[in-house]
Amino acid sequence: MKDSIIQLNHVNFSYPFAKENVLNNVTLSVEQGEFLAVIGGNGSGKTTLCKTFNGLIPHYYNGQLSGEVNIYGEDTIETNVAMLSKQVGYVYQDFESQLVRPRVIDEVRFAPLNYGWTDYKKRGDEALDMLNLTHLKKEFIWQLSGGQKHLTALASVLSLQPEIIIVDEPVAQLDPVHALEIYETLKHLNQEYGKTIIVIEHHTEFIAEYADSVLLMENGTTKWKYPTFTAMQRTKELLSHNILPPPVTRLAEASDTSHKDAALPVTFDEAISFFNDRSFTAKGPTLNSVRSPERKPKELASFYGVKQGYKTVEKNYKWVFRNLTLSLYEGERIALVGGNGAGKSSLMKMLTGILRPALGDIVVDGMHASQTSPERMAESVTYIHQNPEEMFIDDNIRADIDYFSKARNLVDTESYAKQLCHMFSLHHLEDKDGRLLSGGQQRRASLAIGLGTRPSLLLLDEPTASLDINSREEMTRLLHELKGHVKTTVIATHDMELVAEWATRVIVLNEGEIEYDGDRRGLFSNHDLMRQCSLHPPQIVRLSEKLGVYPSALSIAEFLELMKRGESVYEPYQTPAFENQR
Amino acid sequence: MNHIKHLLSKINVETIKIELMNTAYGERSTLMAKLDPRVAIIWYLMFAILPWFFWNNTILIGMLLYMIVLTAVSRISPLILFLLCFGILTEAGYIIFVSIFFGGDLTAALALMTFTMKLTIISLASIVIFTNMDPERFSDALLRFKVPETFCFGISYGYRMLPILIDEYQSIFQSFRLRGKYPESKGVLGWRYIYHICVTTVKAFYPMILNTAKRTRTTVEALEVKGFTYGMHNPKAKELKLSYLKTTKNDALFLSITCVVLFLIIYTGNTYPIERTVHQL
Amino acid sequence: MNQNSLHQKKELNQSQQLMIFVLSMSLFGLANIITEIVPEFTFGPVELSVSYFAFIPLTMVFLFSPLPAALGAPLGEIIFADLLMGDFGGIGELEGFIEFGLAMYIAGLLVSDPMNKKQISIAVLVGVGIDQMLSTIVDIGKVWIGIEELEAVPGVPESILLLEGISFVNEMLISGVLFGLIPALWLVPKLYGKIEPLMGFEPRGDRSFRSATEVVSARFLILAVFFCFVAMIAEFMAEMDVNFAVWEPEFIEQFGQQFLWIGVSAAVIVLILAIMGISYLKKSSTPDTKSSRKAQ
Repeated sequence: MKDSIIQLNHVNFSYPFAKENVLNNVTLSVEQGEFLAVIGGNGSGKTTLCKTFNGLIPHYYNGQLSGEVNIYGEDTIETNVAMLSKQVGYVYQDFESQLVRPRVIDEVRFAPLNYGWTDYKKRGDEALDMLNLTHLKKEFIWQLSGGQKHLTALASVLSLQPEIIIVDEPVAQLDPVHALEIYETLKHLNQEYGKTIIVIEHHTEFIAEYADSVLLMENGTTKWKYPTFTAMQRTKELLSHNILPPPVTRLAEASDTSHKDAALPVTFDEAISFFNDRSFTAKGPTLNSVRSPERKPKELASFYGVKQGYKTVEKNYKWVFRNLTLSLYEGERIALVGGNGAGKSSLMKMLTGILRPALGDIVVDGMHASQTSPERMAESVTYIHQNPEEMFIDDNIRADIDYFSKARNLVDTESYAKQLCHMFSLHHLEDKDGRLLSGGQQRRASLAIGLGTRPSLLLLDEPTASLDINSREEMTRLLHELKGHVKTTVIATHDMELVAEWATRVIVLNEGEIEYDGDRRGLFSNHDLMRQCSLHPPQIVRLSEKLGVYPSALSIAEFLELMKRGESVYEPYQTPAFENQR
Repeated sequence: MNHIKHLLSKINVETIKIELMNTAYGERSTLMAKLDPRVAIIWYLMFAILPWFFWNNTILIGMLLYMIVLTAVSRISPLILFLLCFGILTEAGYIIFVSIFFGGDLTAALALMTFTMKLTIISLASIVIFTNMDPERFSDALLRFKVPETFCFGISYGYRMLPILIDEYQSIFQSFRLRGKYPESKGVLGWRYIYHICVTTVKAFYPMILNTAKRTRTTVEALEVKGFTYGMHNPKAKELKLSYLKTTKNDALFLSITCVVLFLIIYTGNTYPIERTVHQL
Repeated sequence: MNQNSLHQKKELNQSQQLMIFVLSMSLFGLANIITEIVPEFTFGPVELSVSYFAFIPLTMVFLFSPLPAALGAPLGEIIFADLLMGDFGGIGELEGFIEFGLAMYIAGLLVSDPMNKKQISIAVLVGVGIDQMLSTIVDIGKVWIGIEELEAVPGVPESILLLEGISFVNEMLISGVLFGLIPALWLVPKLYGKIEPLMGFEPRGDRSFRSATEVVSARFLILAVFFCFVAMIAEFMAEMDVNFAVWEPEFIEQFGQQFLWIGVSAAVIVLILAIMGISYLKKSSTPDTKSSRKAQ
């Protein structure tokens, strides 16, 4: 029996001037060396709970706290944030704002220095070493990639050598490859250094692979805490909390109607052995070429021999594209994929006219980008930022949607905006500021604002990043519905599930070169290419690969078809209701 | 005409941004950058204060020459020097220009020479020192001089945040640009156009303020967690942080050379003074 | 428990202040970089340039606790626009810091209700006005010290006065009204009640962030700066023997009436400011002191 290092007894907490408690009679114990995942719907109190561990509650946020929070047997009320931080490290969801010093090396030395520890340099170096970041030592923080920043934030937390590390939604702000790296790092810290890890997470795929136990929160109280395997078996209950069980678990559940009581696989390896003894039909879906030659679609946007790059701080040019030739056609749903720095954003920004090529020509909707102002281009092309907050320029959603039409005095401003609000279920939120909405609402609003400019070509940057399952499904559905409003949609994304579900054409970029341009099945069946371009295939695709299913199945439903006894028993889960209608 | 157009297209926001970034984050490896920041500040203070006590032109010319030599060895960006010269000349130019209206003559110019020289010496001294100093080291030196911790932290935090803030503002500004519309006619002297840009510039601050506020909250919370407020009240932490600031032989040498030079300048100045003769009108 | 909650409040205050300080610093720093980039339009000595976006720090001091906001803003300018951009003026920066910080602090203390447009307008003009008056005092002082026997150099004192006057009017109009008053009137009500929850505290109320003594000293300071400004100019004119009567006719003959308007409008603006300030003081000082006494 290990010692419990976090012990909460009947903890209640409410923020000042709030009527309801954010935490309700929470009793919980976490053991030394545990890897715990905290799950629960929006507003279930996950983050608030974790902030009691390092004393931010009650010392930083004043409010009414009752009950007992013991860290290493010490009541947090008796100590302070500075003292507790030595034992409990916290990596924020908005980790970028957590980094306060100019260079990596300063950042990791900052905390030990504040405590006046003479070995602060050694501690900083050790933290970098633990995460293999030593090569970044001298870099400026602002020049790092998102994944590197997250690791730096973790390193700076590690520099205090805390026993407990809390990481708030690591997957939300990172692409899957980096998220995987973070989880591998956490696992390493957990196993090699015996650190207690607590993650707030709703991606069960990661939870199943990495966590020992799962804590479910609901309305500020702890519903249950089980070992991961047990927790993931409770698929129906997870779903009722808007948490989607891992794809392999759902697949197994759907495939196995005979043994209802047998344990479902939750990790990838378990799934392989679970499905290994089953046989599959030989005939899978066939690979077909992307465009049928007899009916040539109309070109909407084209790049002709485009060379484009940027000037670095050292004043030399870094070329993103050397010779890009590419056409986008009407009616396509294009997914633009590729690792960080592959040129996805540059390509989209060139289409908006904000970024101009050094050489070559770009034609969009009959306009030559080099001779047209971005304002004029904006009447045909709309770019929706990854961070929805950058789309909110006015003080309410409705004004944001109207902005474009009003600037041009269009006659149907009113009716069009109403139509959009209806389509995206924003009518209750029309007069709210975008920044005060929830993640899913923000996405919907940003989509509506984008359509408010009445584009033919819609460009979206990571439309499903940092969404919970509920909002994600809804987003996918909305993306399917866009076709009545725009001619062509391009999505730059790391979300391979979205690609598998939505795209009609996938373009893979790798260091400014087009590595692949074709349909999704062709890409997902080419596993080597995916790895080479640092794409992380969906779990079902990986399972297909491991089990020798070729071409890969792209979804649970497809996979079921392939199974011998596969009279389709799979019923897709119902699309959850809009959050604001709940 | 085309040529000018081409030239203008080169001067875009991106180029300016790179220029700014390069000034802020470029290499600092000159002689002055290697000095102990405290010595550098003391040196600067000498040249920021002394000129006010001399009206003897010989001394001022001597100091100015010394500054010019140091500027030359410090590899200052030509743009900064150009802006400095331009600023000083136009300033003095206007005063002379206007004073001639008021019945002045060239004695005004002479009198102003002295004044302008003083200002130039001080400006050059600050450029030589501060464009070469790493903001981190500068903030530590200030901390040593008992400037409050929050201010010193501000310097390094600004150093960290600058590119992010610029990027964010630029992207908000672009959102305004793409969704808004430039006026169709530019108006007299392009005033409509200027008005449109001004309004957008101001309006873009509304989202910017809210986004920054949100970010600041996390930052300050993180500072708390990182023991910043704890360290502020902990003299040991401060001592430790500043322990790397050590004066070397080079610093001593530099200061002594400066003193010798100053002595020579003042001595020569007193021996061969060039002073303005006051005309009685 | 009671003692504990007292302790918590104090702690929270410090972080809140740090938050406001950092916010004000970042934003005004950024604003200054933008004003550096914006091109200037120069017509002879009249420079149509935006020297700073006064509405940013003003909005901050109106919405939040004035002191940290007022201290953060000029520091942001120094760090972002000067130090990092290679334009650091050394002691000159210190002088700017004090002038601007003081001006913003005073402006912030004049506001009790951020939704009150009249209060905001007065506070904006007083804030920018104090900053400009202080910098005029310092500028004239510098020339006075920097040039030996200034009074003996014909034309220069007058010329300096005129140029300072033009600059004062210019700044009051562009920084004070166009990029101060108008944007602040638009921005403050828009942000009030919205930005505070994002930062985790209560919107500014009638009594928050300013004590009675602070308000009284702010008023005292406004008067002090104003009288200092007037006295400085009067003294300068007397000392330098600036006699407007002597050159006036000749001057008008030479350059026409309109040139004089600049000087006149400078005087008018100062006068309006003074009248507004004094009437405001008279009107609000009586009930204010009473209620604050009650509060004590």
